[in-house]
Amino acid sequence: MHELSIIYNVIEIAKEYAEKNSLKKIDKINMSIGEFCCLQEDSLHFAFEGLQKGTLCENAKLHIEVQEAQAYCKNCNLEFKISFTDKLCPYCNAFSHQIMTGYEILVASIEGE
Amino acid sequence: MKQILIEKSVLENNDKAAAENRAFLNAQKAFTINLMGSPGSGKTSVLENIISSISLNYNMAIIEGDLYTAKDAARIARCNTNVIQINTAGACHLDASMVRKALSHIDTKHLDFLIIENIGNLVCPASYDLGEDIKVVVMSVTEGNDKPLKYPSMFQRCSAVILNKTDLLPMTDFNIEEFYQDVYSLNENVKVFEISCKDGTGVTSLTRFLMGAIRNKKDV
Ligand SMILES: Nc1nc2c(ncn2[C@@H]2O[C@H](COP(=O)(O)OP(=O)(O)OP(=O)(O)O)[C@@H](O)[C@H]2O)c(=O)[nH]1
Ligand SMILES: [Mg+2]
Ligand SMILES: [Zn+2]
Repeated sequence: MHELSIIYNVIEIAKEYAEKNSLKKIDKINMSIGEFCCLQEDSLHFAFEGLQKGTLCENAKLHIEVQEAQAYCKNCNLEFKISFTDKLCPYCNAFSHQIMTGYEILVASIEGE
Repeated sequence: MKQILIEKSVLENNDKAAAENRAFLNAQKAFTINLMGSPGSGKTSVLENIISSISLNYNMAIIEGDLYTAKDAARIARCNTNVIQINTAGACHLDASMVRKALSHIDTKHLDFLIIENIGNLVCPASYDLGEDIKVVVMSVTEGNDKPLKYPSMFQRCSAVILNKTDLLPMTDFNIEEFYQDVYSLNENVKVFEISCKDGTGVTSLTRFLMGAIRNKKDV
């Protein structure tokens, strides 16, 4: 439900960096979101279509890449892929709550001229 | 065409404000809870049940978050506790800057324990750090035992789950074994408290846990 405020911030960040780098228009925004962040991709695109009008991103595409979630096992000193219901280390079978990736919501890059 | 690498967190502003809240609350040694859960799961009822015994020993304050009305703040004020209401006028979660503003309106001198009752919602509040020590989810048996797996993020990120309305267990098909299995699969270290705000069952063990945590924070 908070996709709208997320996209509002995405566009603010994109505008800020476009200005710093003297871009006159933005063609593409690349977002990277963790698989645990519970954002609905369709809602993000829908919010983007609404909010991009009248901005530097007017005709930009929004590209979203989903990052897999990983946890760290301190027994084995390694990172492994997890899901919501499976956080057991594949080597020693211990439960890990040290989640390294999966929650991030990033503006990765922008493209424009 | 130019490509500009940014790698900036969209929630950076919230996380900065949360870090400021946390530093402020740590300096006061005030143990802080972000209390979340579905609308009507019993968040305010839980507060009404724990305030009297905790406030005998500690100074506490409550921040109430709701979209509209000051009804919950009025309920808490009847328990003789410092309370301030935030109305988000539609927003589905509290953010750290709202909490910072609320903190400036309460007397935080000698504060030992702060509870922030978040907006009734099982999804969005989980993503917004407010500066709390722990997140706690209130879930009621009438919601059905499938909720942890349907809304995993909140249950995964919390330190304790309060399973409320256990007085209604005989009236529902709530499968308590499945519930424990699911919750522990998301988060093996979570503490679960079964309580009924109606008849008071389980309230003492919850308050004991909270007072232990308040004391721990004072001692660090
Ligand atoms: N039977 C029973 N009813 C309860 C219990 N706890 C709360 N209720 C009832 O559940 C309803 C909702 O309780 P609240 O405490 O207002 O719930 P809340 O989570 O604060 O609700 P919002 O702030 O609106 O999201 C009220 O009518 C309570 O009387 C319980 O343990 N048993
Ligand atoms: Mg309430
Ligand atoms: Zn391991």
